[in-house]
Amino acid sequence: MNRYQLNITADDKQVVLERILQVARYRGFLINGIHAQVNTKNSVGIIELLVSSERPIELLVDQINKLIDIKSVKVDNTVMQLESA
Amino acid sequence: MANETELTGASLLFEVLKQHGVEHIFGYPGGAIMPIYDALYDSEVDHFLCRHEQGAAFSAIGYARASEKVGVCFATSGPGATNLLTGLADALADSIPLVAITGQVATAAMGSDAFQEIDVFGLSLACTKHSFQVTDVHDLEKVLHRAFAIALEGRQGPVLVDIPKDIQLAKVTEERGDYSTLRNKVKLPPANVGSALALLTQAKKPVLYVGGGVGMARAIDELRSFAKRTGIPSVSTLKGLGAIDPNDPNYLGMLGMHGTKAANLAVQECDLLIAVGARFDDRVTGKLNEFAPHAKVIHFDIDTAEIDKRRKANVAILGDLKVNLPALEIPLTIDDWQAKCQQMQAYFGWQYDHPGENIFAPAVLKEVSDRMPRNTCVTTDVGQHQMWAAQHMKFEDPTNFLTSGGMGTMGFGLPAAIGAQVSRPYDCVIAVSGDGSIMMNVQELATIKRFQLPVKIVLIDNSKLGMVRQWQDLFFNGRLSETDLSDNPDFVMLAQAFDIKAKQITKKHEVTGAIEEMLDHNGPYLLQVKIDAKENVWPLVPPETANDKMMENT
Repeated sequence: MNRYQLNITADDKQVVLERILQVARYRGFLINGIHAQVNTKNSVGIIELLVSSERPIELLVDQINKLIDIKSVKVDNTVMQLESA
Repeated sequence: MANETELTGASLLFEVLKQHGVEHIFGYPGGAIMPIYDALYDSEVDHFLCRHEQGAAFSAIGYARASEKVGVCFATSGPGATNLLTGLADALADSIPLVAITGQVATAAMGSDAFQEIDVFGLSLACTKHSFQVTDVHDLEKVLHRAFAIALEGRQGPVLVDIPKDIQLAKVTEERGDYSTLRNKVKLPPANVGSALALLTQAKKPVLYVGGGVGMARAIDELRSFAKRTGIPSVSTLKGLGAIDPNDPNYLGMLGMHGTKAANLAVQECDLLIAVGARFDDRVTGKLNEFAPHAKVIHFDIDTAEIDKRRKANVAILGDLKVNLPALEIPLTIDDWQAKCQQMQAYFGWQYDHPGENIFAPAVLKEVSDRMPRNTCVTTDVGQHQMWAAQHMKFEDPTNFLTSGGMGTMGFGLPAAIGAQVSRPYDCVIAVSGDGSIMMNVQELATIKRFQLPVKIVLIDNSKLGMVRQWQDLFFNGRLSETDLSDNPDFVMLAQAFDIKAKQITKKHEVTGAIEEMLDHNGPYLLQVKIDAKENVWPLVPPETANDKMMENT
């Protein structure tokens, strides 16, 4: 099981967090942790999502990127290295 | 300077629909959407009352697919909304632009388990491209414009807008702000045309694998020009049927589980597979790691997430097919490969010399196809009749063949035909159905009656859930579990109860006359075609099997 951290920025819109969690579950990723906060000045949410799966992380990155309110999705490779060390 | 007019939320909805050119809506009223139906009373839009919300959703899909417009459907809260969901899932799987409007209980009652309250916004997450719940009437106009834009942009899909009753009733000023709806407007990296051209020129045995994305991108002319100039043999997915000219000598037919032998063998042998608006669906690939085992892949798509999802692409060409296909249009020297594919196509062609007096469904559908007027729109339900229609009927455009591809939803065909007929009143529309499928939305015969729609229904009747029965016979030791439908109603009487002319045929010699009678009839017509319950769809690639190891009729 590979573990990853995704750093996601999103517009602070209705149910954006639910959408991300639903996609992660449906695409075969176990959610190990989540931290989310909103910058109320620019209405941008920052979400750190810890997931694990046998599937390639690109699958999840592409699917989250398709969500309408998502601004960016990045895999935090430092976290991956720490987990595998 | 904005032109401001005070309206209710409900009447604002119709103003926005008008701005998007919406002329026809399919729906069903109920408590939480009554203000919208009240505003409909004064609207110029034509509303088609279906007899179930699922029928309304499928009619909107049929309308969208036959006309290349956005389909619009209405339903009330609670059960009305949940009844829409199967249609939304179908539209998502087949990338159909739909805007679904649901009424919701008033905002003050939301979250209190109110009468006919369901969290349709939450339910929509898995079966829409996007969804909105409007909790401030001042957001409504922008949200509605956004819904239309999202439905059409990039890979098309369904969008749900849930509008609480108090928002429908609230006063609001129309802003008439700027909005844009640009089909295929997506930001993508530039296409790697150089690498794709290198693969093309090196290929000795290329195959063009055509999917539903071609029709969605309105890139039929570009695809046909590409196929003609390059001379590459082509195969089609179920949803891609009609994109390639069916009379193109290099066209080998549908590939996959019930594809032609020539199409599947060519793909298994090819050294370059050019996927165009196709997604390597499991019904296409069979055993994935044995699919096109010798092929490099060029993958054209507008959806980044489809690249490398099921099959690694050597070169991905992302973006609008209308722009990208012409960039690779070069003449190739592949005469030997073309000749081999054409020989396979001729050698493994369909046989219609079926023994005995019983009616052979493939021959019936071929004859319907040969006799139907030009630009006829055919819809199907799901099952054996669907595969026979895909195999034996010819379509000159994807808008002329509407079938539930990704979701495989029984009950699709009849309401989809209604939507198609509404969108194209002067074209012939034929729903090919089965005796299992038609019962899934049989109430829509009442919609045909009410609006006097001249839909023709070819009902392939084996008194079975035929495809499931076939699999039970082949893969479950003949244990026929819950697939017998011998207690079906009298379909001729049933149709007549809705003032629909109907006829049953049971023998081959009746086929030609009955098809002529159906096509000559001015109004709706149901032709019940009784066939042998033991007929199977061939060829068949068993699950998790390579496509060149298909089972055939022996």
